[in-house]
Amino acid sequence: MKRKFFNLLAFTTVFGSLLFTTSCSDDDSNGGSTEPPITEGRWITVAGAIMGTDEGVPGDGNGGTLIYSVSKEDAKDPNKTIDVFENGYVVPSARTARLQSSEDGFTFFNIAYGGGNGGEFSKYVVGGGQNFSPVGGIVNISQYASANPRWVKLFDGDKTGVAVNVTAPVVNSTEDGTYINTRGTATVLSLDMQNSLISATKSYEIALSQAEEALGHHIFRLDAPVLNAAQDKLIIGTWMRKTDPATGTNQAQFERLGSKSVVVDYPSLENPTIITSTVGFGDTSGYRSFNSFLANDGNIYQATQRDAGGSHILRINQNNTYDNSFVFSLDAALGVTNSYIENWRYVGNGIAIVMYTHDGAAESTLSGQAQSYIARVDLNAKTAQQIDLPYDQDLYLFQYQGFVVDGYDVYVTFAPVGKDGNIYIINSQTGAVTKGAKLVNRPGNHFIGAF
Amino acid sequence: MKKYLLLFALLFNYFLSFAQTGTIKGIVRFEDNQPATSVSIYIEGSKKSTFSDEDGRFVLEKMPYGKYALQFVSLEAENKSVVVQLNSPSQEIVVSVIKKEDQKLEEVVIKKESIKKQTEEKGFAVNVIETKEAGLRNLQTIELLNRTAGVRIRQNGGMGSDASFNINGLSGNAIKIFIDGIPSSSYGSSFDLNSIPPANIERIEVYKGVIPGHLSDDALGGAINVILKKGMRNNFNVSTSYGSFNTTQTNFNGLYRFEKSGFTVKSSGFLNYSDNDYKVEGDFVYNILPNGRREFLKARRFNDTYRSIGGVIELGYTDVKWADNFMIGFTTSDSYQEVQHGVFMTTPYKGRFTEADANLLNLNYSKKDFFAKGIDFDLQGIYGTRNRLVNDTVTGVYNWDGKRAIDINGNPVFSNVGAQQGPATIANIKRDIFSLRVNLSYSITKNHKVLLNNVINTVAREDDDEMRSVLERKFMGTRDMTKNITALTYEFTGFENKLKTSLFGKYYQQKLERMNPTVEVIDGVNTRVENVSKSNKEATGYGVAISYAILPNVMLLTSAEKAVRLPNENEVFGDVTENTLDNPNLRYEMSENLNLGFRLGTFHLKKHSVFFALNGFIRDIQDRIGRPLSSMINTDIQVLGFVNQGNAKSQGFDFEMNYTFNDNLNITFNTSKFELTTTDIYNRKRDLPNEPFFTMNAGVNYFFKNVLAKDAQLNVFYNYMFVDTFNFLFPPSANNAGLGLFDIPQQNIHDVGLSYVFPNKKLVASFDAKNIFDRQVFDNMGVQKPGRAFYFKLNYVFNNF
Repeated sequence: MKRKFFNLLAFTTVFGSLLFTTSCSDDDSNGGSTEPPITEGRWITVAGAIMGTDEGVPGDGNGGTLIYSVSKEDAKDPNKTIDVFENGYVVPSARTARLQSSEDGFTFFNIAYGGGNGGEFSKYVVGGGQNFSPVGGIVNISQYASANPRWVKLFDGDKTGVAVNVTAPVVNSTEDGTYINTRGTATVLSLDMQNSLISATKSYEIALSQAEEALGHHIFRLDAPVLNAAQDKLIIGTWMRKTDPATGTNQAQFERLGSKSVVVDYPSLENPTIITSTVGFGDTSGYRSFNSFLANDGNIYQATQRDAGGSHILRINQNNTYDNSFVFSLDAALGVTNSYIENWRYVGNGIAIVMYTHDGAAESTLSGQAQSYIARVDLNAKTAQQIDLPYDQDLYLFQYQGFVVDGYDVYVTFAPVGKDGNIYIINSQTGAVTKGAKLVNRPGNHFIGAF
Repeated sequence: MKKYLLLFALLFNYFLSFAQTGTIKGIVRFEDNQPATSVSIYIEGSKKSTFSDEDGRFVLEKMPYGKYALQFVSLEAENKSVVVQLNSPSQEIVVSVIKKEDQKLEEVVIKKESIKKQTEEKGFAVNVIETKEAGLRNLQTIELLNRTAGVRIRQNGGMGSDASFNINGLSGNAIKIFIDGIPSSSYGSSFDLNSIPPANIERIEVYKGVIPGHLSDDALGGAINVILKKGMRNNFNVSTSYGSFNTTQTNFNGLYRFEKSGFTVKSSGFLNYSDNDYKVEGDFVYNILPNGRREFLKARRFNDTYRSIGGVIELGYTDVKWADNFMIGFTTSDSYQEVQHGVFMTTPYKGRFTEADANLLNLNYSKKDFFAKGIDFDLQGIYGTRNRLVNDTVTGVYNWDGKRAIDINGNPVFSNVGAQQGPATIANIKRDIFSLRVNLSYSITKNHKVLLNNVINTVAREDDDEMRSVLERKFMGTRDMTKNITALTYEFTGFENKLKTSLFGKYYQQKLERMNPTVEVIDGVNTRVENVSKSNKEATGYGVAISYAILPNVMLLTSAEKAVRLPNENEVFGDVTENTLDNPNLRYEMSENLNLGFRLGTFHLKKHSVFFALNGFIRDIQDRIGRPLSSMINTDIQVLGFVNQGNAKSQGFDFEMNYTFNDNLNITFNTSKFELTTTDIYNRKRDLPNEPFFTMNAGVNYFFKNVLAKDAQLNVFYNYMFVDTFNFLFPPSANNAGLGLFDIPQQNIHDVGLSYVFPNKKLVASFDAKNIFDRQVFDNMGVQKPGRAFYFKLNYVFNNF
């Protein structure tokens, strides 16, 4: 009985992904748009994060994560009410979990972040409501990627997840105390999500150029890997830090290098090299979810954070190098200063939905955090427009993780910290917004996505 | 012949002073100045006799003038004879008697009450743990504390592993430990509750919430004061034990006093060792296979060895004209402790260990009636160096079977953090410490007493890490702390000793200094500059303790304190490695603590005796120091400092009872229940996780006389401990699914033991079986503690040499 069930699941997953890959690779060169696949009977899983108990700050998400699924129809229905905190399933994670779902929404993936079970990958069959049935057993990747792993799934039909890690960088100096460099050891691990097994893992020191290293620059973290169109390279985002060569301590303020990514062979995970942009000067690691996407044009688009000139979206071409002729500045596109892309999602046809904040944003009186906004970005036209939503100074999308792309419909959860909100369905073609089911909130809690 | 002569002399005296009579009044005290109660006083050759009362006082009235030989006889003291010449209407004498050390156990019970009573009836919520009996058994100091009402020890593994103390729901920095009144932080982790055996401890006082002035430190929620062996009588005892997990504990203590000069030599020592290789299993114990799958197993801990060795030698004078006690000594200790895992058991460590050592000079001086009658003075000082080392250099990843983890390529896995717990380190922390405690008390009259206490504590700390680069080691900072705490106490006893009150105020001062080297360009040259930042914090607190005896057996007790904890160095100055900024405006944490309880007993009915005590408590912490949790902190260069934003409230009760039958059956029971909550910014009361809020302890002790041989004694013990289930994550609603993973299951632990006192009363053998049903015992975050274990111990006592 159990076996049959697994087969059915495998079939659904493979079939679903086949459907997706076929539709996606149908790139329309005429400039017209191709609708991403629509999954009939899809579940929409809503995730909520609880405010921490001990010295909790509203929106900190340190009290754990709950998930709850509804049908696509219910998600769209503004007369329906979803109370994930009252009725949800508690995801096994001490802090905000790092969640992923299959493209068809029938399978849910989690790697627990922190706590006694940190680093454990688990897979669930979504059964509606609070029903999430564990399948396939647990895989523990903590030995490679720590109990707080940074991971995402690849857009390869939900076959693979990739986790990355860097050991605490070590300062090296000569015997007389002259600074040499700061380096950590990077680990890249790929996970066979269908069979719930580790499929490959590699570790290496990744050196910057000698000149960069002499100044104290080093890779502090890796995150948000993405698979290229040829499916032979992974592009991994970086978070840079700088040692003060005079004292060996971390430097709080420093002049940033051009944005960097680490490129490794796939699926062997070997031969790490570094590519550097001359357009962006921020980190490319994102936060808790995706930060780079393979677009219909075969290029990879990658957002920057902590960028001196506000967030950019960079292009990595099919030669796996930064295309410095492509310049997209969110500051320029929106007419704001020091924008910061908190989360984003490529939704097909050169369109992206971007969650961001900027210098002029209001500050939450609850948490002191800057308010978040959502914009629709056209990467081809290099334009961006704020989406018309009921914004609130307590809207905080920094920890946001989940977007559902179902055809031209993009589902997002939208609620200020501690206040009720709704699922909204954004039309990726037009930017038009439809109000969906009501989301019941609790003081201090917030929603971190629709999956 | 001698007897007849004496009788003759007495009779002669009697006839000579026939016309006049007088009164002989007096006080009987032990050598430590505690009153000796129920001492039988009779006059040799006469039928006249009396008993000393609760304060050790006695009166013999209508005595004809003359010379008398007064005999003092007590179960608790050595017999003593004092000759008194009565030739005035009233003659007052003070008699010092020597406590008996090698008594039968039923006599110990009596002694226990007299010591406990003194401290426990002052009005404070305090438990006095006598270690006399435990010292003969296979019990550790930590276990004794854990069996005390309202006290819970959270320990990260077996013997010697890091312990955190929880008293009535408050833990961590809120609880302070003292050794003879000096903060134990001065002694370091090599001379602490893990290493000092009960045999070398006189008694332990556990103060809950309200801490008397003579224990001076910024203890927010409670204090544990360990009083090391005192006494002035020649003795030497030694014991050794061996048991499960290759655990061995040996200790000795002894004292020799030259009767004539008062020159005294005192020494004690301990040696503890354990492999701690007990078995663990459960949700967090598994090997990770090359493909990431988990293989659950029952594993033996393989990196948990503990060893500690230490000793104290003191030389000086006791019971001389100019001092009751004047000792100069040297304390040395050294410990080695392997660390098997972090907060959770999931990742086993190999090769991580810590070492600590301390070499300290001590000075002790005490004198009653210092300069003038009624003024008591005592002083304790320690000075020396202590070192701590954290070593974590093994880069390989290990599984719970003790073998290297192998990856999917067949290669050994290397740590993803550098070493076992974090970056590879050989961190040395050296601290120069100085601590001086001065107590001065003045008994204005019998009913009024004023006490002044002052403790100065300084720590100068230097850090180094051999694994860091030469460059980084050049730029490591230093830290200095000076704490100065003064307490003024007024004690009033009234209404025929029915009312006892103690009123105190405390002044706290803490100076912190931090030096971080940096580089400045001076004359175009990079120059190392020492950057010094300072902070000076002050605070005041006050409190009161009252006890009132409604009936001799019914006593009401209440105590309250506004307690404070000063921010520590990291909290004031921040920490670059933890991305925290300094906050010089940080205030102290404050807690309003209240106890209200009663003591009933001891009631005697034929052969039955019973005693009850109940204490209800509230601890209300405000301005709790915490780090503002911000998700941005993870992702940005911006840093935040500690702030006074938190709060916590604990309320509950402790209940204790003791039943004795015919002096050979003793049953004890205690239970403690509390609710620990925090109020968030929405004014919601929320339970704080990972707190064992409901615990019970029960003990039965039966004593057989003349077993196997005449005058031999057999003691049989049974102990039961209950800890109710608790969570380390609270779900927002009862309707949620996916729960259960975060529960620590209910625990029921049974221990048994017996000890046999050989007829010569010098040799005691004891056997203990702990956790006899081999139940899983948990602590912090589901860390498992030892299963079934057996221990055997021999004690030998030399006396009167």
